[in-house]
Amino acid sequence: MKSRALLDRAAEGGCPHVRLQMSDFSIIGKATAMVDAAEKTTGTGKYTDDLALPGMLVGKILHSPYPHARIKSIDTRRAERLDGVVAVAVGKDAPNPFGILPVGHDEHALALDKVRYVGDNVACVAAVSESIAEQALELIDVDYEVLPSYFDPEESMKAEADLIHENKPHNIEKDYHHVFGDPEKGFAEADQICEARFLANEVTHAAMEPHSTLASFELDPHTGNLGRLTVWSSTQVPYYLQHKLSLVLEMPMSQIRVIKPLVGGGFGGKSEVIPLEIIAAIAARKAKAPVKITYTREEVFWAHRGRPRTIIDLKTGVKNDGRITAVKARVVQDGGAYCSYGVVTILYSGALLGALYDIPNIQYDGYRVLTNKPACGAMRGHGTVNVRFAFESQLDELAQKIGMDPAEIRQRNLLQPPCITVNGLRVQSYGLPECIEKIVERSGWRERKGKLPQGHGLGIACSHYVSGAANSIIRSDMPHSTVNIKIDRDGGVVVYTGASEIGQGSDTMTAQVAAEALGCSLSRVRVVAADTDLTPIDIGSYSSRVTFMAGNATLRAATEVKKLIAAAAAKKMNCAPEEVIFRDDLVCKPGTHASEQAAPAQDPRGLDGRERPSPHGTENSATSVSGRVEGQILRGSLQQKRKEEGPKDAMTFEEAVVAAIDFHGALTGTGSYAPPQQARGGKHKGAGVGPSPAYSYSAQVAEVSVDEETGEVTVHKVWAAHDCGRALNPVAVEGQIIGSVWMGMGQALTEEMIWKDGMLMNPGLLEYRSPASVESPEIEPIIVESIDPEGPFGAKECSEGSLAATIPAIANAIYDAVGIRLHESPFTPERVLAALRAKKNSKPLNLTEGVDPTQPDRFREHGGALWFKGKGPRRHELDPARSEAPAGGAD
Amino acid sequence: MKKELIELRVNRRTHEIAIEPNMLLLDALRQTLGLTGSKRGCDDSSCGACTVLIDGTAMLSCTLLAASCQDQEITTIEGVSEHGSLAAIQKAYGDWGGAQCGYCTPGFIMTVKSLLADNPNPTETEIRAALSSNLCRCTGYSQMYEAIRAALDAERKGIAAVR
Amino acid sequence: MSLPEFKLQRPHSIDEAIEYLAKYAGDVRVIAGGTDLIPSMRQKLFEPKYVLDVRGISELRGVHAQPDGGVMIGASTTLSAVEKSEFLRQNYPVLTEAARTVASPVLRNMGTIGGNICLDTRCLWYNQSLAWRKGCGFCIKKDGDLCHVAPGGTKCWAVFSADTPPALLCLNAEIEIAGPAGTRRVGLAGFYTGLGDNYRKLQANELVTRVFLPKSSAGMRGVYRKLRIRGSIDYPLAGVAIAIRRSNGHIADAQIAMTAVNPSPMLVKGAGEMLVGRAIDETLAESAGDLAARIAKPLTTSALTPEYRREMIRVFTKRALLEAAKN
Repeated sequence: MKSRALLDRAAEGGCPHVRLQMSDFSIIGKATAMVDAAEKTTGTGKYTDDLALPGMLVGKILHSPYPHARIKSIDTRRAERLDGVVAVAVGKDAPNPFGILPVGHDEHALALDKVRYVGDNVACVAAVSESIAEQALELIDVDYEVLPSYFDPEESMKAEADLIHENKPHNIEKDYHHVFGDPEKGFAEADQICEARFLANEVTHAAMEPHSTLASFELDPHTGNLGRLTVWSSTQVPYYLQHKLSLVLEMPMSQIRVIKPLVGGGFGGKSEVIPLEIIAAIAARKAKAPVKITYTREEVFWAHRGRPRTIIDLKTGVKNDGRITAVKARVVQDGGAYCSYGVVTILYSGALLGALYDIPNIQYDGYRVLTNKPACGAMRGHGTVNVRFAFESQLDELAQKIGMDPAEIRQRNLLQPPCITVNGLRVQSYGLPECIEKIVERSGWRERKGKLPQGHGLGIACSHYVSGAANSIIRSDMPHSTVNIKIDRDGGVVVYTGASEIGQGSDTMTAQVAAEALGCSLSRVRVVAADTDLTPIDIGSYSSRVTFMAGNATLRAATEVKKLIAAAAAKKMNCAPEEVIFRDDLVCKPGTHASEQAAPAQDPRGLDGRERPSPHGTENSATSVSGRVEGQILRGSLQQKRKEEGPKDAMTFEEAVVAAIDFHGALTGTGSYAPPQQARGGKHKGAGVGPSPAYSYSAQVAEVSVDEETGEVTVHKVWAAHDCGRALNPVAVEGQIIGSVWMGMGQALTEEMIWKDGMLMNPGLLEYRSPASVESPEIEPIIVESIDPEGPFGAKECSEGSLAATIPAIANAIYDAVGIRLHESPFTPERVLAALRAKKNSKPLNLTEGVDPTQPDRFREHGGALWFKGKGPRRHELDPARSEAPAGGAD
Repeated sequence: MKKELIELRVNRRTHEIAIEPNMLLLDALRQTLGLTGSKRGCDDSSCGACTVLIDGTAMLSCTLLAASCQDQEITTIEGVSEHGSLAAIQKAYGDWGGAQCGYCTPGFIMTVKSLLADNPNPTETEIRAALSSNLCRCTGYSQMYEAIRAALDAERKGIAAVR
Repeated sequence: MSLPEFKLQRPHSIDEAIEYLAKYAGDVRVIAGGTDLIPSMRQKLFEPKYVLDVRGISELRGVHAQPDGGVMIGASTTLSAVEKSEFLRQNYPVLTEAARTVASPVLRNMGTIGGNICLDTRCLWYNQSLAWRKGCGFCIKKDGDLCHVAPGGTKCWAVFSADTPPALLCLNAEIEIAGPAGTRRVGLAGFYTGLGDNYRKLQANELVTRVFLPKSSAGMRGVYRKLRIRGSIDYPLAGVAIAIRRSNGHIADAQIAMTAVNPSPMLVKGAGEMLVGRAIDETLAESAGDLAARIAKPLTTSALTPEYRREMIRVFTKRALLEAAKN
């Protein structure tokens, strides 16, 4: 393989810049508009909430007003009697437990005997309109016995009684204790050691589309009872949803079809089965009618599954030459009331201490703790982000202690791939060195670092992420992704993939890989995705696995079907099948394709690296047009011509397809991908999480200014270099890098879920402050291509890895600007100002309510008092604390 | 509640619909008229995904009562495509990565339409200020600026837009 | 979240509006831009039987220079129109600047100056859904009998969070209120009560119809500074407006007003006495900042800590004065 040869040459020469010439590829490497772009820009594309079925009902969920309570009784009779209410579902309608992890089946679609957070799901009304459903919720009488609650993770760990889940002593969902190498020896060898506590507050995905699910049963043709179930849902994981629906509804998976329409962003928030997805099906079953539930924005915050607030006690030792000798981390995650992905999250936090730098000795103690708050789960950069904030901040501090440039200390600790890290992670392609070089150069680091005016600063940090998990959460040897391809007589290629487009460009990547492999134009390829009836299994869009895994599966399926075409074409052209070249909608003998003679290398970007020709504007050559437009008309005459002509040097793609179908019958191919055994990690307990077939790498420099009177931080620019293996679609890769950096900036500066005794004080987009355009900085994405030996065309992850570096890059830049080290995120102006004032020994002001952001010890709760002690006459009739309210009584 | 008959002018057509007085324009568009391009992203008038033009001015359809919009010209994302093909801004958003998940995109396109109608040659600062009415969670906004520039160039050269 | 059921009336004149208000008094809410009322109705903070849409009343719109040199602004003039009025920018720049910071451009296309003046006071314990408020047991401002912010007391501390009223206060604005008995004109400062729940002096059958800015305030140099976490969309977490007139390098007239730190927007008492006759320098500006910060009483009604918000009143006052003193 040509690319492999070049790669080998690159490896020998140690030259990081060798790239395949663009002429080696027709489709990939070119900025390509998403295949669904027009649907999105015209508003014609359908998201789940845009769908409607005849007779469809609206579902609304009753949520718990208490953080922890036993349900003594639920009386739905008054609600059921309301005109327009068709059904009211409660926990016992579908009592089987579920959860995304096999070890974490601790959720019920609707509460059975206990509620565990404010917002927990208690009952669901299906009614003819939203307003009737909402009115009916007020008529459901629930009698609660309030239990003691746990909100702070370290307090929760001390619990002896009133546990959140009876089978989890001390409210600890899971703890892991890993030792790799000899950390004590490592610390003994260190010349400098830093040890500190870092706190990262809770953040959430806040995808623009609130979750929505539409569930509909067909009648069984023989019995007239409810039969097959179809569910349309805003999910990143249609196959997991199918599986969990099967479990809870006690239906065979074959009777359940899950269809994923367009999804309005996920970021992990739709990467597991969210209660409404199952509740909608339960309600549809009970109502015997289609039911759609769309969360309010507040419900999205209650469903949450975002990044847990995290305590990181971190200790790092370095030699005076900058080499890291040992790292010790104790991580406590405030996981909320259910397991969710928690066991995986706490493992990622430890495992991905490795595989970025060469660290010989690691000790990790991780605790995933249950509290009476909405469950945390997977969010972009799953498990790695908060620990990376701590680590990269501390590394900066150590660099300063030993008098070394912060960029250099990172370069001193590079891995030497191919290698296996001390904690068992296999690293092959490793673009980190080039990433660091690039950002140092582009940001003017050497000339500008430390030389900016007071209040301005530069900070550097690195991060990495998996290209999919090498071990799937369902613990099976099944391939992680399978793709089918079908090619019709007119040359139309249909790719069937279970991979879930959620805005990241999954469908476009699939089409590009198929078109490149088959040598046909992109316009021939149609992608049918994420429909469990039609598409083969793919475990979903999470942990940045789609390009690597579904991309490889697509490549393999295309290769398989290409063999069939090559065999038929070779006969027509009198050559060997393996000699046949597929390129630019032509199938030809060697030595006849134009690109082999003098194709100039075309970089899609101009000299400034930014200009791109319009992806649709000029690309359509005559060949691709003929394939699409003339196909139907010409078919008959083509067949005629073929009969008349003898052997030839080249055929159109369509001619070759026709020949192959005539020869083999139907043209289909299947490809699948399972991560190789060598990439699956070590043997210790918890070793399954962290290993990946390939890791992406990112290095960033942030430029900030700090207003020393107000504490306001402005990010002016971020240079972000990301090693994505190969950029299959540069415009999409840049979009993912920019989006990740931007989301990291949100977590660094403005985003924070504010809690008071289990009440989320800011459950809306007004008060949960995701940045707007005016404060969003320029982000310069720099693509680094390390050409992974196992990735499809060398590609690997690009959608998550950049996020984690942004937070510490900003923290380090703040230090450079004004000399304060913030150990608690986000770096809100009050925290920054508190640190600045402490540093200047100015008049102490209690700006942060006793928590020093440079040495935080505990999470801060919102001020005020929650619990209602008065018993005045003006209490609302719905107030659950109202003593005279008939608790659960009949009317 | 009793429904009332109202007339709405949407995308240059008049629709007579029966609605309850408390119906929001967004719901009338999405549920009654089947124009689902305008999206609901929040409940507190903060996100801009439902932005439409009312007599040419960008407004939030989730914050307007449908019955209040009688006698006004409402333009939704469905009314933006020109003669069945993409408007320059729509094409540019696709080409330059201005849309990822696409959920906020219709709202942004409407905001940009109204910006460009008022100010055909906006500076970067003016674009940023105008776009600050809408939240996007995917793009970090950067690629939208490029898209808007490209659309303006295309309009100027007369390439993409069918007038 | 659906809106509560109500009947909608769309009057086309002020008189017609007043008739409706008289008829439905007590069970009616006025809607203009809707940016405040609609989200609150979704949260069931208001469940009126009638809603009066005043968008169709053309006499309520427009910026009209007065023959005497002042200006009259119709209450349902949008904040965008206020922001873009060249006349206001020339003569009352602090109002232009304050209007420009409200929420976001699209929200300013909808929100009105009258709505901004009448903006309901806000609190994280209050501006929440019915389901949420059940969880906290309600509060004095709506359905309950306790304040979560100041649990011992019986006063509501919901915070006044509009941007233009402090600017209007600095400009000695008056508002016209129409009611069944005719119209009355009151100074804006006297319109607010200082209470979080019953925050304004407006009868259920009355309508704020116009805003008047006097000639005497025209030409005052002004600055508005707003504390917000996000550069758009947000309500203020603290805000300071100042308007000064100088003569021979000294201050001849000065007003400072604050918002988002008390249940009402407030003029800083004593600011005039402190500033008039003096030249602005760092020390003077700091003293004025200290004065303003002493009057600010932010509580945990909002994001960011009260101490921080109070501190920003101090810093912003100082900065606004120094800025206004430039050139």
